[in-house]
Amino acid sequence: MTGPRRLPDQGVHDLILDTEPWLSCEDCFALMDVYVETVLADPHSRAMPEMPVHLAGCPACAEEAQSLLDLVTAGEPEPDSGDESTA
Amino acid sequence: MMPASQRGPGRADLTAAPAPRAEPLDWPAALVLPGTVQDEAVRRLHELMVRAARHQVWRMRDMLHGRGTDFFDDLANGAADEALTVLLTKLDTFQGRSRFTTWAYKFAILQAATEVRRQAWADREVHLEDWELSADPAASPEQEAEAADLAAAVAVAMSTALTPYQREIAVALVIDEVPIDVLADRLGTTRGALYKALHQARGRLRASLRASGHLPDDVAGGAR
Repeated sequence: MTGPRRLPDQGVHDLILDTEPWLSCEDCFALMDVYVETVLADPHSRAMPEMPVHLAGCPACAEEAQSLLDLVTAGEPEPDSGDESTA
Repeated sequence: MMPASQRGPGRADLTAAPAPRAEPLDWPAALVLPGTVQDEAVRRLHELMVRAARHQVWRMRDMLHGRGTDFFDDLANGAADEALTVLLTKLDTFQGRSRFTTWAYKFAILQAATEVRRQAWADREVHLEDWELSADPAASPEQEAEAADLAAAVAVAMSTALTPYQREIAVALVIDEVPIDVLADRLGTTRGALYKALHQARGRLRASLRASGHLPDDVAGGAR
């Protein structure tokens, strides 16, 4: 082993995060649209408990789920309105 | 960077969110009927993919230092094109459990986010290294004694409970914060495989800490 190097405080918590029940990134992606709409319909829903667990432990999936949530929340442009971006 | 437990779309953030609107178009049917209906559906879907990709690139623009609007647009347009291609090959997997547009958006978001992260790390080397970790003694005076003890125990467990590969992946993803898709690309593996390695490493660390008395048996941890 090389080192030692410092273990940052935040790393301690991220390293021992409980990520059970297991959910893969691929399954997270497959469920993401349903999860987002479930949360939008009922923010307190306890359906799909594996999703928030996975999102807490996977920053990339969390970013994409939050982005999808924000985009859906923003609503869709009317056809041919020219509003193609929320940016 | 925010703690992992605060990064996700937690339910508490969503109490003011409106319910989704009804779907105005039968997208799956329109996209498979040859002719002008299909052409129009593909055109409109592409517009939505561009919108989602731009949304994603704009969210992550701070990762792309020194890049301007033209670069962002090119990135988003390329991601939208690629995402549309992928989506059309997976059209038969749409089960109608969400609105079609919500389902479609996620393809553009994934593609754009992956491309932003790839670009952001394009000039950065990624080395897997089997580090020995130590709790920072300099931080101990300011830390609660319990937190310092936990940090030291985690450092020990990293050395004793993990395989070298699990340790390398955990350090790269959690401590060095290499994006999981960037690391997967560099290692020639998949995002899912890396997340599984990290998941297993976390499980081993937690088991080791329970055995040493640093975590109680009945505590679920920070993810719930």
